[in-house]
Amino acid sequence: MSSLTYAQAAAQGIWNSQVDEIGYIPSVTVAPVIDHLVELDGGNNGRSSHVNPLSREEEAVGVIGALPLAGKFGAVVMQDNGFGNNITALTTFSISYHLPMLIFANTRGSLGEYNSMIHSVSQPAPDLLRRLGLPVIELDRRSSAQDWEDTVSEAGNHAKMTYRPVIVLGSFWNTDGKVA
Amino acid sequence: MRRYQALQLINELTADLPLVVTCAATSRELAAVETRDNHFYVLDSMGLVGSIATGLAIAAKGSDVQKVIGLEGDGSLFMNPNVLPTGGFLSPNRLFLILLDNQVYGSTADIPTYADRVDLGAIAEASGWTVGRADDEASFRSEYARLLNTAGPTFLHMRIEPGNATDVPKLLVDPVTITNRFQAWFTHRLGQGTEVNA
Repeated sequence: MSSLTYAQAAAQGIWNSQVDEIGYIPSVTVAPVIDHLVELDGGNNGRSSHVNPLSREEEAVGVIGALPLAGKFGAVVMQDNGFGNNITALTTFSISYHLPMLIFANTRGSLGEYNSMIHSVSQPAPDLLRRLGLPVIELDRRSSAQDWEDTVSEAGNHAKMTYRPVIVLGSFWNTDGKVA
Repeated sequence: MRRYQALQLINELTADLPLVVTCAATSRELAAVETRDNHFYVLDSMGLVGSIATGLAIAAKGSDVQKVIGLEGDGSLFMNPNVLPTGGFLSPNRLFLILLDNQVYGSTADIPTYADRVDLGAIAEASGWTVGRADDEASFRSEYARLLNTAGPTFLHMRIEPGNATDVPKLLVDPVTITNRFQAWFTHRLGQGTEVNA
């Protein structure tokens, strides 16, 4: 049984999927994931050799999504409302050019949410992504941290096997993490 | 100089370098000049060339690839100017962006961009890039040679005249064929000698 927190388990799962580079767009919910990714890479204060901040989700698809063209593989850590920013890049670049990538995104707009409008983009995000042909795997309080680690890791393998981005959505409500 | 002539010049200078090319007329015209394995045509995804080039420049760290070149237009770069602060911040040694600035959306009826009032080279400079400026063949060759040998993100701001080449066919290829061709060339060039997709 994993002794990791859910955030640490997600971070460990990302590294387990043998990524070369990780880009992130911060949110308060994924901050502990980012901290653990950075820590495991020997860095601090949000930066390490292979973990870097990016300014926008669309840009992350370009920077990290291009790595397979060089025989490498990468992951993006973000929040689900950012899919509104990167859908064109995901479809016309990653999907069209058959480029694998792992995306781990925390969810917003559901149980535990304080923000009165973020559900308007976050709630339809899984259906929208699936409609575009992107595989979406959803995790929440009902499975263990160990399951989160294993699922995130296998999602990376699935992306490589199927030559496309694979998205893992993690709801931190009623886990040891926080929603917002 | 128009875009087509600039692309002939760039094609001559980049035979051994990865070249990521922006969409529409620029990709079409470069493919009409010559289509080569080191060309990665971004057929849509307007504005993403600089981000893709940044990722590839990061991936090329430690290799003997001198630079990864992104070839952008002013309209496209205005669509994702985040490329400039991000490139300056991450500062990959091998990142080189060439901007062909004709001050119009060349594939969209020559509608003017912001470029007659906003200097993209100055934004690059403020973001930490080493910037060169050119407006003819001689100045382009000179600045290209200098920036090719400058470590860190480099930006060559080339002023060109508006106008598309005539009788250039559309680039009607399946994007995955571009992936396979470029990936095979680039992974080999990086010294990995493998053709893997991950």
